[in-house]
Amino acid sequence: MARAAREVFFVDGVRTPFGKAGPQGQYWRTRADDLGVKVVRELLRCNPSVPVERIGDVAFAATAQVGDQGLTLGRDVALLAGLPDSVPGFAVDRMCAGALTAVTAAAGEIAFGAVDVAVAGGVEHMGHHPMGDDVDFNPRFVSERLIDESAAVMGQTAENLHDLFPAITKERADAFAVQSQRRATAAWQNGVMKETVVPLTVFTDDGWKLAERDEFLRPETSLEGLAQLKPAFRAGGRVTAGNSAGLTDGATASFLAAEDAVDELALQPRLRLVGYAYAGVAPHLMGMGPVPATRRVLEQAGIALDDVDLFELNEPFAVQVLTWCDELGVAADDPRLNPYGGAIACGHPLAATGIRLISQLAFGLRARNGRYGLTALCIGMGMGCAILWENTGVGSTEPASAEASASPTPEQ
Amino acid sequence: MADTTFKLNAAGRIALVTIDDGEDYTRPTTLGRSAFESAVHVLEELERGDWEAAVFTGKPFVFCVGADIDEFGKVEDPREGIRAGHGLFNRIRELPFPTVAAINGAALGGGLELALHCTARTLASNVRHIGFPEVFLSIIPGWGGTQLLPKLVGPDAAAKVIVLNPLRQNTLLKAQEAFELGIVDALLDPVEFLDESLAFARGLSVDRAEPDWSDVETVLRKARSRVDDAVHGATRAPYVALDLIAGAQHWSLGEGYAAEEDAMAELLLSPQAQASAYAFTVVERRSKKPPALPAAKPRRIQKIGIVGAGLMATQIATQFVKRLEVPVVLRDIEQTRVDEALQTIREEVGERRPFLATLVDGGTGWEQFADCDLVLEAVFEQLDVKREVFAAVREVAPQAILMTNTSSLSVEEMGADVGLHFFNPVAVMPLVEIVRTPQTPDDVLATAWDVVKKLKKRGVIVGDSPGFVVNRVLTRVSRALMDAIENGNTTEDTDEAMLGLGMPMAPSVLLMMVGPRVALHVLETMHDAYPDRFPLSPALERIANGEEPTAIGDSPRSVEEIRRAVLEAAADEIRHMLDEGVVDSPADVDACLILGAGYPFFLGGITKHLEQTGIADFGKIPA
Repeated sequence: MARAAREVFFVDGVRTPFGKAGPQGQYWRTRADDLGVKVVRELLRCNPSVPVERIGDVAFAATAQVGDQGLTLGRDVALLAGLPDSVPGFAVDRMCAGALTAVTAAAGEIAFGAVDVAVAGGVEHMGHHPMGDDVDFNPRFVSERLIDESAAVMGQTAENLHDLFPAITKERADAFAVQSQRRATAAWQNGVMKETVVPLTVFTDDGWKLAERDEFLRPETSLEGLAQLKPAFRAGGRVTAGNSAGLTDGATASFLAAEDAVDELALQPRLRLVGYAYAGVAPHLMGMGPVPATRRVLEQAGIALDDVDLFELNEPFAVQVLTWCDELGVAADDPRLNPYGGAIACGHPLAATGIRLISQLAFGLRARNGRYGLTALCIGMGMGCAILWENTGVGSTEPASAEASASPTPEQ
Repeated sequence: MADTTFKLNAAGRIALVTIDDGEDYTRPTTLGRSAFESAVHVLEELERGDWEAAVFTGKPFVFCVGADIDEFGKVEDPREGIRAGHGLFNRIRELPFPTVAAINGAALGGGLELALHCTARTLASNVRHIGFPEVFLSIIPGWGGTQLLPKLVGPDAAAKVIVLNPLRQNTLLKAQEAFELGIVDALLDPVEFLDESLAFARGLSVDRAEPDWSDVETVLRKARSRVDDAVHGATRAPYVALDLIAGAQHWSLGEGYAAEEDAMAELLLSPQAQASAYAFTVVERRSKKPPALPAAKPRRIQKIGIVGAGLMATQIATQFVKRLEVPVVLRDIEQTRVDEALQTIREEVGERRPFLATLVDGGTGWEQFADCDLVLEAVFEQLDVKREVFAAVREVAPQAILMTNTSSLSVEEMGADVGLHFFNPVAVMPLVEIVRTPQTPDDVLATAWDVVKKLKKRGVIVGDSPGFVVNRVLTRVSRALMDAIENGNTTEDTDEAMLGLGMPMAPSVLLMMVGPRVALHVLETMHDAYPDRFPLSPALERIANGEEPTAIGDSPRSVEEIRRAVLEAAADEIRHMLDEGVVDSPADVDACLILGAGYPFFLGGITKHLEQTGIADFGKIPA
């Protein structure tokens, strides 16, 4: 008998506020797995119609799978969050696309009929696990010139993009960063953060505190201010702390469900998974990754770029988003692109970021009554990921309640 | 030790106050002078600010364990410290918005009193240490505890928590019990405890039953009688605490505070409280990391042999299997005796974890010890028998550490490497005397210490001399009591002499528990070693033979005279032990007597009391 794949739905997603990595950050004394536990429990709390014993798998991503991110995170977090022993879990790593890979892996399980409901999430405590810590690069990469040495340092790959595309100047990158901060500042007022971010108490050297904001948000960011910043990766370079995402701690989690489970449990999913694509590019140009990934997923789905109503792109570096914009023909200030700002303003906890993009996309599509949306990000060692979604509520006569207040602030 | 500070942060309009000493959970947070100073600053900010509520909590795993016991000995004016606590805590109580104590970990003494001054309390369901240990230390909870607890939960529960539990080996409450008694308003999952406590504070509404005072007379009379049974009037604190609980029914909090202050002014400087603070240091600090412990690495113990299958052997084997979870083999002369022991052990250890029952085996041969890392004998107390045992074991298992459970014989002479003297009943008694001979290698001593620790027992390292510490002192004390009986006193007199000191058990009852024949045997051993100080006792011989002791002389003494004679005998014997180097310090004697014979904290074991009463002067007692 022929097997039919099942439709997969994104039911809900949530994240912690994001913190600055390091001793000054709000999560310095908080365990990474405890951040994961918090978002999973919030997800369960917000979706009481999902019986916990029906969760078929817990896919949890982390780039550094050691220490408080070790021990097969999906299982570890499931047990710590109080899920029944019968719920299995696993750990995922595709660096920055960790959470997106957790989502597509869990979606595969659902589509195949292996599970009905899954949790997919990610965490990165970059304070506890600096990038590349404990990584033992194979010397062949260098001796056989398999990759350009700069591929190992993400900031240098960003400089490489500036080199490759001289039209993308530091001024354009800074302007994009200002836009990101402005849009994010507005987003903290208009409901999207209230819906997708869960505050939590954290222990710090100054006692217990409530973590409720992203520590990278800088509403006062200006072009003049950014112009003063020194390049971070190369003398005379263009990438600064102001036009890139800082080192971040944070966690995210989401519920995915099969179409029959949606009906059976009377869930109200936000998005239908239309398609996804991963692509490889030259490792030293890793920021290019989303370009072929986007083209591929649109081609798979037979959908034109113009049919997409919203783009949630990760912003590790402004130049990386601008590269995608130029290649795909989307204006950097297009209101469809990152309407709530991006990683420049909220941070980028590597393997956790993907679900922030999806949650915000779901909110944005509902607010605009849009149909298709795209989440995409670039991945270290030269990859890109793009996932295409369809708003399940599109065309409904009842517009989302958040719509009235959810439009991004018009750019000046 | 780091200073405790109160740290204020805003969680929206909720003030979030952390009591933190900057250390990890292994150093429970205490309240000292500097903590109060920092708390005053926070209170000023709370009083000034526009807050919806305040939540007080501790660093991870600890709420607050109250006053720093190290400051006990330094107190000059108890009233000052008591007033400072009342003043501070009452300011918390009078804040113009609701306050919640989010009890995330151990909350003892002053920590719990702080929580009682809040409008309401949440408690993490995994907390295991809630209570008032003050009476255990011969003082009272003097920062409002004796008043607010009865006002909250009534006299019955208050008497239990403040007076009776401390007298039951300082029993503390687990979260569920504290919740059931009504001490806290909400029992919450630990996983998001503080987040949920904040939510609790936001929507605070307290619905409590009024405490029931209708039976207060009966409740307190019963409690007083139980206190009598435990301390026989030898320390005032439990009685005073009951009076304060009774007063709470009618007193205003201010009147209650004043009564607490008067009580503490009397109690804190009392010999009993000072002795308790000393005993606490001896038992909780010194004896956990004694100076005599060598730095050598303990050997790995993967199989244990037990020679003998009698009562002690069976009990010790049971503990080894339970705690060390390694194979244990028993050996006795008759297989039926071995089988009986095996059955007893298997039933006991396999009850909850069936695989443990498979770890124990036994027979009549020596060869089963061949691959043992440790062999302990618990056979009849006869030197020749033990010598033969160790010779046989040494032949089949030359690698094994040889240990003896002898209670009075020479470890060295019988050919053992080290002594491990357990007390009966083994499962209950915390003390193990670790007997070191001049030949005991450092790694063997370290292994013995390690094994005792894994058995969850408390080890005290003592020298290889007859009776070691506990039996030597107890036998000398007992000999002094027999002396009184032989001179015409009754058992009632001798019992009263000891109970009046605050001993937990009458010596006549203790003698029957130990067995008069065993006691006689030990006395004979001690007599062989020290005939002058341990003369044989015709009275004890008669008791051992099942007869009534008859007086030889006719010069009965007063109870006070008997008590004095007993204390002088103990002091004399301890002086000899120190001179011989059986222990390094009087503190080790006290640790042994507290942990092995149940001597009360308020006597400081015994040496503190001997010094306080001027009967002995051991010099400066290091703790």
